[in-house]
Amino acid sequence: MLLYEYEGKKLFKACGINVPQSQLVLISESPNIQISAPCVLKAQVLSGKRADAGGIIKVQSLLKELFRKTINGERVEKILVEEMVEIDKEYYLSFSYSTESRGLVLTFGEGGTGAEEKGAKTYPIDILSTSEVKKLRLHLGGVLPEELIEIAIKLWEVFIKYDCELAEINPLVTTVIPAKLALDSDRGAGIQNNIDSGSGSGMTSSKNDKIVYALDAKVILDDDADFRREVKFPERNLFGRPPTEAEIEARKIDEGDHRGTAGSVYWDLQGGDIAVIAAGGGGSIVNMDALLAFGGKPANYTEHSGNPPREKLKKLTKIVLSNPNLKGCWFVGGTANFTDIYETLMGFVEGLRELSPKPTYPIVIRRGGPRDKEAFEALKEIGEKEGFDFHIYGRETPMTQTAKTMVELAYGNTSN
Amino acid sequence: MGILVTETTKVLIQGITGKEGSKVALQMRNYNTKVLAGVTPGKGGQQVHGIPVYNTITEALENHPGINASFVAVPNFAAYGAMREAIEAKIPLINVLTEHIPIQDTAKAVALAKRNGVKIVGPSSIGIISPGIGKVGSIGGDDPRGVYSKGSVGVISKSGGMASEVSWILTKNGIGQSTVAGIGGDVLIGSTFADLLEEFEKDEQTKAVIIFGEIGGTYEEEAADLIKSGGFTKKVVAFISGLFAEQLPAGTKLGHAGAIVYGDKGSYKSKIESLKSAGIKIAKTPDEIPDLLR
Repeated sequence: MLLYEYEGKKLFKACGINVPQSQLVLISESPNIQISAPCVLKAQVLSGKRADAGGIIKVQSLLKELFRKTINGERVEKILVEEMVEIDKEYYLSFSYSTESRGLVLTFGEGGTGAEEKGAKTYPIDILSTSEVKKLRLHLGGVLPEELIEIAIKLWEVFIKYDCELAEINPLVTTVIPAKLALDSDRGAGIQNNIDSGSGSGMTSSKNDKIVYALDAKVILDDDADFRREVKFPERNLFGRPPTEAEIEARKIDEGDHRGTAGSVYWDLQGGDIAVIAAGGGGSIVNMDALLAFGGKPANYTEHSGNPPREKLKKLTKIVLSNPNLKGCWFVGGTANFTDIYETLMGFVEGLRELSPKPTYPIVIRRGGPRDKEAFEALKEIGEKEGFDFHIYGRETPMTQTAKTMVELAYGNTSN
Repeated sequence: MGILVTETTKVLIQGITGKEGSKVALQMRNYNTKVLAGVTPGKGGQQVHGIPVYNTITEALENHPGINASFVAVPNFAAYGAMREAIEAKIPLINVLTEHIPIQDTAKAVALAKRNGVKIVGPSSIGIISPGIGKVGSIGGDDPRGVYSKGSVGVISKSGGMASEVSWILTKNGIGQSTVAGIGGDVLIGSTFADLLEEFEKDEQTKAVIIFGEIGGTYEEEAADLIKSGGFTKKVVAFISGLFAEQLPAGTKLGHAGAIVYGDKGSYKSKIESLKSAGIKIAKTPDEIPDLLR
């Protein structure tokens, strides 16, 4: 899960990293802003290149008209009002995992936008030798200037303690003039989150009075470690829009039932007209690639895998096919290793039966694996008896070829 | 003889008393794989399908010193402990089925395995099968015989489902497989395409290898680099999926955990270009693979 800047900064502060004083305001309210101008207004959005898109502005006085409404197509709901910090030097610092060194890496270089292009360097770190801060300090000592080592150790703590995929500070700044210290304590009554007194107890200043601040925070949490992370953050949507009803419903299917997965990954795709129920985390993408290559417009993306029970497929089918603009439905998967094809396809049929109005568009099915023959015989009979326009293909027909069949049936043979 | 799983493979199952562990135990035995023992802490003394269960790997090894492979089918929160136990016992091949292991745990296990000179295949691995010889993991399910057939083509796939689909396409076209390995689609994995290509290079039975990759990470590029440097000299055909995923907003999660692209790194284009520059033929659909092999 990608965190908003203000959420990332909460984790930073919990581990003693200095952040500027700030206040989170909801755009829908008329906030009582306690940070004095000049200050920085920062749109809380998840998309990158926020500054380039006008999402960060410096203001000399607080204006009524605070902000643009969207950044990179993402609606701005919250703004972080942050004190101005006098910058001496800017750096980029992050911990993440790299497939190249197949492990943990530290990335360090010049800060600001486009840090990658500015030649930030990546240094592999042996995760097994970092259990002691002493050893970690040795690693860092070879890479970082002395004044950044303490903050790097704290960022390391954030990275490990909260099970991050990425903990990034850009820019990490040193300043010679200390930022204004926290206001008195009775601030921000009635304002969500109040003022965060960033420069509180964790503030450290090195010998030459340089203070190191994290001006921004980019944190990606490892969702697979949710079970052991004590801090929880609300769900968000990377599409920069609130989740659709279908997406919310689909994600409920797997809740509390660990038998296979169906619906945990579900996205509605704007303007599409072919419903897709795809199998397997790898095969589903292969098939989406094929559908697009033949000119199909998918109405959704979803994958199911790991032998989910019939009920899950039934629920998923009803959700996927609730879209009123469909021209076809494609139930597709490779040759499964262990998913029971009969059970999953009967779940699909049970879902179809409960739809109103009953689907009259073509339904192309391509699947292989355990009990597939049994499933196809049953489907053939059900299609004839109940009047579904089934087009059934087994493992002898190439999976991606049925993408072409689907497109032709849905749009007519004239389509390319 | 294929790679990783051979006539001499003798398997231990970690998590044998669980649903997946016990199911796969039976599947492996039915495919003539020697399953000597299982481990589940606190359940020592029990039996699963007649296979003895021990509390620890140490106990299992005392009673069955021939064990040379472990299959890990424990829940994600227990996976690091299980992997560490197997690594410290120096079991040379550890195949991890478990999905959704925290990346920090995988990073530690991968580093520990390297330090101890043992091989992890996975996490999120469907398993390894050397058709006609044996299998470790859930690859092929109850009956691999229809889909997998013995021959001279190796298959390495991030996707378990596509390992099966590709093997079926090969079998349907009369092309058998030496070994088919699912390496998993996580960000960090124990064995990469390049690692297994090196194994296939040494294997006399293998004449060509199929790489089934997808967007995200750099393992496909690493394989291309190995081939360019002469580290693998047999024929390779590759398929890369994920063009669709690239059209979605950056960072959108779907498919496998590792199939995620930030910036240009790990993109479809980057993978195709580096594989092509290594002289590897690229299949546009999985069904083109048999023709490209010829």
